[in-house]
Amino acid sequence: MSNPNAVAVLQRAAELRATLTGQFRDETVKSIYAEAERIAGRASHHSGTARYDFDQRIDRIVTSPIFGLPIMALLLAIVFWLTVAGANVPSAMLASGFFWFEDQAAAVFTNFGAPWWVTGFIWHGVFRGLAWVISVMLPPMMIFFPLFTVLEDLGYLPRVAFNLDFLFSRAGAHGKQALTMAMGFGCNAAGIISTRVIDSPRERLVAILTNNFVPCNGRFPTLILLATIFVGPLVPSAVASIAAAGTVVGVVLIGVVVTLAVSWVLSRTVLKGQASAFTLELPPYRRPGILRILYTSIIDRTLFVLWRAVLTAAPAGAVIWLLANIFVGDVSLARHISNALNPLGHAIGLDGVILLAYIIAIPANEIVVPTLLMVYLGTGMMTDDVSLEEIKRLLVTEHGWTLLTAVNLMLFSLLHNPCATTIITMYKETLSLKWTVVGTLMPLGLAFLVTFIVASIW
Amino acid sequence: MGPLLTTVAIGATIFGLFLALSWASRRRASQSRHRLEDALKHLFDLEYRGRHGSLASLTGALRVRDRAALDLVKRMQTQGLLVARGAEFDLTPEGERLALQVIRAHRLLERYFADEARLPLPQVHAAAERGEHHLSPDAADRLSASLGHPSVDPHGDPIPTREGFVPPAAGTPATAWPIDRLARIVHLEDEPPISYAQLVAAGIEVGQMIRIIDSSPERMVLTDGENEFRLAPAVAANIFLENAPQAPALAGALRLAELSTGQAAEILGLDDRCQGYSRRRLMDLGFTEGATIRAALTTFAGDPRAYEIRGTLVALRSEQASQVLVQPLEKAS
Repeated sequence: MSNPNAVAVLQRAAELRATLTGQFRDETVKSIYAEAERIAGRASHHSGTARYDFDQRIDRIVTSPIFGLPIMALLLAIVFWLTVAGANVPSAMLASGFFWFEDQAAAVFTNFGAPWWVTGFIWHGVFRGLAWVISVMLPPMMIFFPLFTVLEDLGYLPRVAFNLDFLFSRAGAHGKQALTMAMGFGCNAAGIISTRVIDSPRERLVAILTNNFVPCNGRFPTLILLATIFVGPLVPSAVASIAAAGTVVGVVLIGVVVTLAVSWVLSRTVLKGQASAFTLELPPYRRPGILRILYTSIIDRTLFVLWRAVLTAAPAGAVIWLLANIFVGDVSLARHISNALNPLGHAIGLDGVILLAYIIAIPANEIVVPTLLMVYLGTGMMTDDVSLEEIKRLLVTEHGWTLLTAVNLMLFSLLHNPCATTIITMYKETLSLKWTVVGTLMPLGLAFLVTFIVASIW
Repeated sequence: MGPLLTTVAIGATIFGLFLALSWASRRRASQSRHRLEDALKHLFDLEYRGRHGSLASLTGALRVRDRAALDLVKRMQTQGLLVARGAEFDLTPEGERLALQVIRAHRLLERYFADEARLPLPQVHAAAERGEHHLSPDAADRLSASLGHPSVDPHGDPIPTREGFVPPAAGTPATAWPIDRLARIVHLEDEPPISYAQLVAAGIEVGQMIRIIDSSPERMVLTDGENEFRLAPAVAANIFLENAPQAPALAGALRLAELSTGQAAEILGLDDRCQGYSRRRLMDLGFTEGATIRAALTTFAGDPRAYEIRGTLVALRSEQASQVLVQPLEKAS
């Protein structure tokens, strides 16, 4: 600031500022609004209130004491059902397509005399990891995100936030966290990006740090598998599938309760000093724009998340293949590590292989079950080409899984640290190493604590 | 347990110990800096009120033993921050400059915690007390700019400028204010915390309009028009008053939260207690004086409610809605 004029101007500004009364900002905003009103009054005119009355009628229904919550539950159930039911077939098709390609490519490599480890590393390692993540992740996201975006575009989602705010206000959070949580069912990374709709910094951080407690669709297969194998047989076979579904819903509800509880604690402890204010705009209902929906849900959400997942899944595939195919003595590296992790695993009602699978699966939770099966079966690549009965026999008879193992694995899957994509997203959204570390280690610690307690009192 | 795990465990233990040791030594260094800054603040505070510091006042304010206070005074003398005249201590100009930096940081942080983070007022002082030692003068400038260069902290204490200018303390203690003359509270002394907590608990706030109804050596009775506050004179002496500006016509005013659903009203303004981020948000959404507002929707839980303003629906929790003052309109329908 060498310019003497600039110094003088700044000094003058400081002097003048001292003479301002506190209300000048209010006056400024008021005059801006008055001017905007004047221009709007000249440039636009309203013809009737029919549209507005229509909106009001819908609003009264969707926020009514009787219909509000049931409508919401029904719409969300439809979205989930469409996602789960619709994604099965394309997932299976993608997987068989990718794995067929993998076989062909590996055969070509072998024919050209490539050493087995080059073929294995590239095709059975890196490519298989990628293929797995894409085929599990892509179809549900392609269905879930557009459906969700339709609700968003309609203007319905803010009403959900409005209806559910009473729950979140008690937890020191924002009603819009209901939306970011719902988004988290699709993908936690996308859920964290969607917290941008929360305009209050403290409540936004709460939503970012707790989004991980709703299971994303990468974790649902694990939950469904465990519920089917372990909880289903506990009840008469007629209601087995209902019991299994109920268990998954129960786990989700535990996740919601944990979210609220952790939000309550966070907003009263580490986040106390962050800025906060509650306002929620309820925009008018609109006809959804199909092109815009496709653009936001496919480009902004699906491809964005998928690209980050691909970046992390490829190296994970490589690591898995290396661990399964490097032998020290007669035993693979994977076995060595899982044996070393066994004491820790047993302390929380799991075992070393499960922990290893979760360490390898940090890049993407979709590969937990395939990795587990790979290590248990001693094969050299990820696999789930195994029937449910075989999986059950493998887990229960050969590796001593009990109901406790299943319950704790479900809890661990629900609570443990977010995947790498989510961690990167957390950093990009907060630009703070501190909150990224908290958001990563806090769930991990909670997962260990809860599973340890359950294992101790079992 | 495998040898791998043992090696990892031993490694982690050694690393942990190393971290703990370096943390402890850093903590000791920063603690002694904090204590020095607290001493500067204390001495400046006394000088500002025309008194002088002493060893006794230091040990009391910092809650340290005589030995530690003596060491501190010696250190401040060698650093040229303090001169001793007999038993009395005075700050050197350099000492004053540093003290003002700490005070500026403290009061700006109080503003931040009260306005932006919306901490309850009794917690604001303690939070700023911790933060003041970590805010560099440049960071304080940035904070001041982001807060819109406030001139007083939430208790009404003036915030020193960057150049170190402190406006003189404003207001007359309530104990010296004539009975029955309308006054505005400009400052609540936040030390000692016990009597400040008592004022806050009674619901007394900076910016409130009050009148003194009765004053005796045992008891002072104040009123804000609705509630009566009975205070010991020693506590009331911590309230500082100024002549009230013309009271705005707020007769018949309601808080927005009190409006019944479907009723329309004209906005009179925002409560003075609503500051910082919340105030900016409400202003941005068009909650300005003269705007028409209608309570449109309510959830089954009763809170939040949605209000129709300037052609849009905005939901507010009752906590926010009670900071908007409105004048109900005659029902048109």
